[in-house]
Amino acid sequence: MYVTAVIDEEKCVGCKLCSQVCPEPNAIKFDVSKKKSCIISIRCKGCQICEVSCPKKAISMKQVLQKAV
Amino acid sequence: MSLDITKINPHFEDVMPQEYIDLVKNGPFGNEKSQKDLGTFKELLEEHPLCAGCNLALAFRILVGSLPNPEDTIIVGSTGCSSLAFSQLALHNIHSVFGNQNAVATGLKTALRLRFPDKIKDVIVMAGDGATADIGLDMTLHSWFRGDKITTVMFDNELYANTGGQESGMSVRDTVLYMAPKGKKFNKINLPDMAIAAGCSYVAVVSTARTKPISDCFKKAVLITREIGPTYIQIYTPCPTNLKIKPYESKKVATDRSKSDYQFREHITDDAKKYLESLKP
Repeated sequence: MYVTAVIDEEKCVGCKLCSQVCPEPNAIKFDVSKKKSCIISIRCKGCQICEVSCPKKAISMKQVLQKAV
Repeated sequence: MSLDITKINPHFEDVMPQEYIDLVKNGPFGNEKSQKDLGTFKELLEEHPLCAGCNLALAFRILVGSLPNPEDTIIVGSTGCSSLAFSQLALHNIHSVFGNQNAVATGLKTALRLRFPDKIKDVIVMAGDGATADIGLDMTLHSWFRGDKITTVMFDNELYANTGGQESGMSVRDTVLYMAPKGKKFNKINLPDMAIAAGCSYVAVVSTARTKPISDCFKKAVLITREIGPTYIQIYTPCPTNLKIKPYESKKVATDRSKSDYQFREHITDDAKKYLESLKP
């Protein structure tokens, strides 16, 4: 069991702050067409830095029970 | 390195991994990126084995993402946590003996100057505080005394994180660590002032509390190194594993320290200032 971050797309305003504070490369992608961030959950280590630094509280942690593919 | 090396052979384009195609088409090779573009392109760094919430990894990622000229950059690393990320880096890099990184970079810079006299080649040293300030202090200082055109970046996590948390010369006085249970007995080394005295053209002290200063200072330092002289950047990167804090609290630690005793400061000589102004369009 481990945790990954998930983004609430309705709250995300596309400020790209999460992708600038994430220590993992390529873990948070910015969708240019939708102007929202999205998380590649396989790469997320669950450190919660994005959660505490999101100004709109759009990121929350989700428990994953199954093993990642 | 020529940019032609990264180009994909059109006959193999259908079997190349999607990430490699992204790296060549939208990546930082050939078009300069900065920290605000992170997330919109495939980065040169890949999945690294550093801990969750490691601020060193964050600083490393921002530095690699804001290189002005990644195809002509060679990074010299040294033993420590930072060396774990080098094997996942899509750039030329050298792993040196512990503490030898600036001496290796001097030889490399000389060889590149003789081999490619009319090309810009950036040699950047990225090492931890143990390699820069404790074990490799003489190599670091002497490369500054000689005026070698090298950018030195230090990831200052204030302890030996890779070997279990011994005190280093950069630890703050009275810090209690896993392998320093009685606390440190002497003061933190003031390496930025030593760098100014040793003749560095540009010295900056930043922390991971804010990412824009890291990117801006690093770009300035690399540009100044090309023409003027040695530069030095010190980045505060708290280690959540050895400070016994939760990974997400490292952000708060960096913010608190950046407001008290690890404030942003910058020293730039007049020559370097004039050179930077002459580069502006």
